[in-house]
Amino acid sequence: MKSGILAVPRALPCADQQDGAPLPPGGAAFHVDGVDFAYDGAHPTFRSLALTARPGEFVALLGPSGCGKTTLLNLLSGFLPPDSGRITIDGETVTPEMPALGYAFQSPQLFPWLNVLDNVRFGLRMAGRLPDTEQRDKAMAALALVGLEAAAGKFPHQLSGGMQQRVALARALVLEPRLLLMDEPFAALDAITRATLNEELLRLCGRLGQTVLFITHDVEEAVFLADRVVLLGIAPAGIHSELAIDLPRPRRLRETRRLERFTTLTDTLLERISAIVATA
Amino acid sequence: MRTRLYGWAAFPALLLVWSAAAWNLPPYVLPQPWAVAAEAVRWLNSGQLAAHVGASLLREAGGFAVAVVGALALGLAGALSPGFRAFSAPLTGLFMAIPPIAWAPLSMIFFGLGYVAITMVIVVAALFPMAVTVQEGFLAIRNGNLRAARVLGARRWQLIRHVYLPASLPFLTAALRIGFSQAWRALVAAEMLGASQGIGWMVAMGGQIGNATQVLLGVAIIGMTAWITESLVFRRIERRYRHWHLA
Repeated sequence: MKSGILAVPRALPCADQQDGAPLPPGGAAFHVDGVDFAYDGAHPTFRSLALTARPGEFVALLGPSGCGKTTLLNLLSGFLPPDSGRITIDGETVTPEMPALGYAFQSPQLFPWLNVLDNVRFGLRMAGRLPDTEQRDKAMAALALVGLEAAAGKFPHQLSGGMQQRVALARALVLEPRLLLMDEPFAALDAITRATLNEELLRLCGRLGQTVLFITHDVEEAVFLADRVVLLGIAPAGIHSELAIDLPRPRRLRETRRLERFTTLTDTLLERISAIVATA
Repeated sequence: MRTRLYGWAAFPALLLVWSAAAWNLPPYVLPQPWAVAAEAVRWLNSGQLAAHVGASLLREAGGFAVAVVGALALGLAGALSPGFRAFSAPLTGLFMAIPPIAWAPLSMIFFGLGYVAITMVIVVAALFPMAVTVQEGFLAIRNGNLRAARVLGARRWQLIRHVYLPASLPFLTAALRIGFSQAWRALVAAEMLGASQGIGWMVAMGGQIGNATQVLLGVAIIGMTAWITESLVFRRIERRYRHWHLA
């Protein structure tokens, strides 16, 4: 508790933007090695897929629909076993239950029978290693990270979609995952909420330093967030190409999007996507 | 607010129509509401009413309890095993299509007149609709919640305790409500056929001796018991879970 990234004293000043002073990287290395997968033998979804993320790296996976994004996610999170090859976090074969893995779903998937605090506390209760009061403190600290301490006693249905998604993020972060897998977590939100949450996510990642794999179909979102964008082709093509995003950090919504480099990068990606779709 | 007033006006209106109709008919055909009320007081004072209502509730409780246990087992098995689901679906459909009271004569041949025969009819009446509701409920537990719980580290028994159990509360209470009312209908019908006490017997006996007051008293008690359990007990419990679907 005392050394955790969610220790109470450190979480408190978080309401301010603190991108300039990230904590030591708490990220895991992620390896996908020669992964084959097919739902049926005749139509492989992936053939010898390879993907690597450095500790603390923010990787955006961008792809047109039909590229096997859902399948890829199920593989990356261990919900589906690959036919061959290995998927590892820091050398360990991935399983959905492994503590190093945090997961943000497309819809928040909060438990409707628990209030916000108990939703955030859920993972700590399952692990059962901490006494109740410490679980509460940690959950409150995680809620503070996403600016929702005041909503601790509310139930999910009393929150807006954006707030629910932030609670879901806090629920994942409270376990201090070293890899965060995000499956179009903001896709269902309105543009303004989405932009705010994108900025907030970068601020959190700057602080916590975990590795992030962020799946999206929005080119601008990918460029704004990522250190590297990985472009997926139509299945079974696998990875089409990669693009390093050399925009300066900390990134701010309005400033970053106005940079000429931002436009160049999004244009490059858009051209590549058109090429992928054209060959399909 | 205005719409609510109409709801409150419904029962007094029914009493008015009843009373007006009774005005034009001889009392041995249709007695006045207050005559039925006086009859109720008489039965109450003699202790007869408590004995009959008690007998009926005892049968209801026994049959309903057995049906709940059976429905949980069938519903869970159907939810977990697609094979069992496919196998049981036609049988459940068949048993739900047969009015439970049609089993009463067979039940009485098997078990003789008495508690067990009537209770078995109740079990048949309540079991299948409850089993279907339980099964559909378990199947509808959101896959997303289960995945979220697994990623948060929940193991198999923790999933049952912390996801399946709380997520099943809304449809379990719905199943209880459906089962209780089905059991109650079957109970009254079965008591009219083969019992020596109970509310159903009270109604049937009243008809045989031409005592319309006794019949109406029995009918009123049947309706009130069902209404009280349904809207005051089960619906109240269900209302607590209504917002769950919105999250």
